[in-house]
Amino acid sequence: MDLNTLKLKMDQANYIYDDTMATVLAVALQLGRPLLIEGAAGVGKTEIAKVMAAALDRDLVRLQCYEGLDESKALYEWNYQKQLLSIQVNMNTQDKDELTRSLFSDEYLLERPLLQSIRSERPVVLLIDEIDKADEEFEAFLLELLSDMQVSIPEVGTLKAKSVPFVVLTSNRARPLSEALRRRCAYLYIQYPDMEKELAILRAKLPHVDDQLCAQVAVAVQNLRSNEAILKKPSIAETLDWAAALDALGVRELTPDALRQTAGFILKNSEDMDVLEEMGDITQCQCGCGGECENHGGHHHHHGHNCGGHHHG
Amino acid sequence: MADAGVYLEKLSTFSKLLRSEGLSVSPKETEDAARILIALGLDDRELVKTALRTVYAKSREEQLIFDKFFDGFFVSEEVMRKLVEEEMKREAEVRQNMQNDQDELQINGKPMELDDEQREVYAGMDEEERQKLRQFMDKYKDSAQRHPQLYDGFIHSVFMRSILEQQMMAEDAAVGIEESDPEIGLLYRDISKFKDIEIPKAIAIIQSISQQINRELSSKAQKAGRSSALDFRKTIRKGLETGGSFYRLKYKKKRSRRRQLVLLCDVSWSMMQFSEFALRFIQQLNHVSESSRVFLFSEEMHEADAFSLQNMDLFRNYVKECGIYGKGTDLGKALAELNAMNPPALSAATTLLILSDTKTVNQNFAVEALKDAKRKAGRVIWLNPIPERKWRFIRSVQAMASVCPMISCSTLSTLAAACKRLAY
Repeated sequence: MDLNTLKLKMDQANYIYDDTMATVLAVALQLGRPLLIEGAAGVGKTEIAKVMAAALDRDLVRLQCYEGLDESKALYEWNYQKQLLSIQVNMNTQDKDELTRSLFSDEYLLERPLLQSIRSERPVVLLIDEIDKADEEFEAFLLELLSDMQVSIPEVGTLKAKSVPFVVLTSNRARPLSEALRRRCAYLYIQYPDMEKELAILRAKLPHVDDQLCAQVAVAVQNLRSNEAILKKPSIAETLDWAAALDALGVRELTPDALRQTAGFILKNSEDMDVLEEMGDITQCQCGCGGECENHGGHHHHHGHNCGGHHHG
Repeated sequence: MADAGVYLEKLSTFSKLLRSEGLSVSPKETEDAARILIALGLDDRELVKTALRTVYAKSREEQLIFDKFFDGFFVSEEVMRKLVEEEMKREAEVRQNMQNDQDELQINGKPMELDDEQREVYAGMDEEERQKLRQFMDKYKDSAQRHPQLYDGFIHSVFMRSILEQQMMAEDAAVGIEESDPEIGLLYRDISKFKDIEIPKAIAIIQSISQQINRELSSKAQKAGRSSALDFRKTIRKGLETGGSFYRLKYKKKRSRRRQLVLLCDVSWSMMQFSEFALRFIQQLNHVSESSRVFLFSEEMHEADAFSLQNMDLFRNYVKECGIYGKGTDLGKALAELNAMNPPALSAATTLLILSDTKTVNQNFAVEALKDAKRKAGRVIWLNPIPERKWRFIRSVQAMASVCPMISCSTLSTLAAACKRLAY
């Protein structure tokens, strides 16, 4: 799929992207390389895999990583209970070799996401989410799959991919990933969206919400993220939840009271709440235009200058 | 970007350049880059840059290095034309200045004999320095007539000093350049450059990484720690769960023998922050050692008790109370004291871990004391917060690294990797 077609498909999926992201995705697709996406929590890494599945018209197979994740949860497991039952039932059979062979056939194989993704007849999008949470051993185990699109099962042998999935790995950089894994992937780093993109996302995802409110929410979120004292920066999903909650409460303007009552949607710990109290009015744009630019819901003045990358009225 | 052939040829040179900057670029990456250039074309420079970045750079840090080198390597026609124009203009200026300088610098009415390099240095001096030099020449004009050689020699030495100063400045610049990109996460940033506000976050990261390393090490120890002897009792017990079939065999465990750790920790002004983090890290890795002793030093050495290392405030207060805060560094003295301790602090079962940037007074003495410590301890490892790429500029680092293995750990990420190595 070329760059322009991919852009078209992402437009159809109602996804807001920039040129860099589209190019990286197109390159990864073209080279057939897994894509490693890094960035802070909540910048929309997982969403990319979902959008790619929609854009490529493929199923999404998701593997959520966690500490202690191993082959039996990620790749395959033998159905031990069924195998034991089969042994009991066929205890008196003459052909013991045949019984052993049958015990390690597809009938007793429980496919987990990785195996499922390469044994699927139709290519899928495989999302390996939060790979940094898995152990290093699991990372090493993934190398065979990522470079050769095959897996080795001791009892069966090497299984080659029936279809090649588009693999997306995401990481919050909680720990450094191995060089070997990185080398096998194309790389994308995502940052929090700037004002303009955030507003575009709000408008695209919540078309029914008042435009002025969206602008105020975007300014407030940008201000919170730029404050170094905030420990957990608001994610895009939280921004959307917040705007939707404000809209549901019938709020048309983000007043300090409305902000205080709904702050729990964007800030998730008491330290950050204290910082918010100290910050004063976060709905004010920090561009020095005295609160008169369109993006924080002030009056529409047509003074036509730019402020921090977003457009003024 | 006009001709595809030119850029495809350039790719292999570019790969080589990136490799020399520490990026792991294999022939596969160059091949991918070539494929992608053919597919995308070369008309849009930004598109090419993004595509190649995707192929070559595998982390945010590598992206920053890539961007720097791409812009310098694949110069756009516009920039190239501008650079050529600027260079031509600069050369014309230098030629003009050099001609004027010839008239300015005269001895006994004759132009001074200067080589091209010296003339260029004079052309590059600011007006104040030039004036000083001219005043000096005026003042000693008479002696120039009496001892022309001596005078000439002195003037040349002034030029040589100026050239040397410029070289040193260039070297300092190479040592001092530090990327300070706020986008780079705490894990990959220079520890000594953390702001106060970032410290709680950094501590949280240390805790989570050390927990992870501990878990990894304990699972490794579980797997590797078994001896070949079968544990019948446990195997039979486990077999009961699967109706008497011995589905998984259980083995007897080997007793692990961990080493004693002696930490010699530089708490001089420049090292304070790094030492705090490194100590915290090592203390939390319960698989690294059986027991550990911590010695803090700047100009003097003190043994720290476990209580004073519990948290950052206690640690800072302890260092201040000891009277070693804000002082210089005398590594030789600290090592000599450590070597001479009775009962001995260092033995064949000890790993001596030195946390220091190698900057110390009396370097020769320190190297000798380090050699002595190496003879006494079973293993000596140096954790150096200075990034490895700068080591070749610093003589003390080279001297110490020739005695014992040195690991660079300027960031939390490299520190974590170094601490993990300690456990093996």
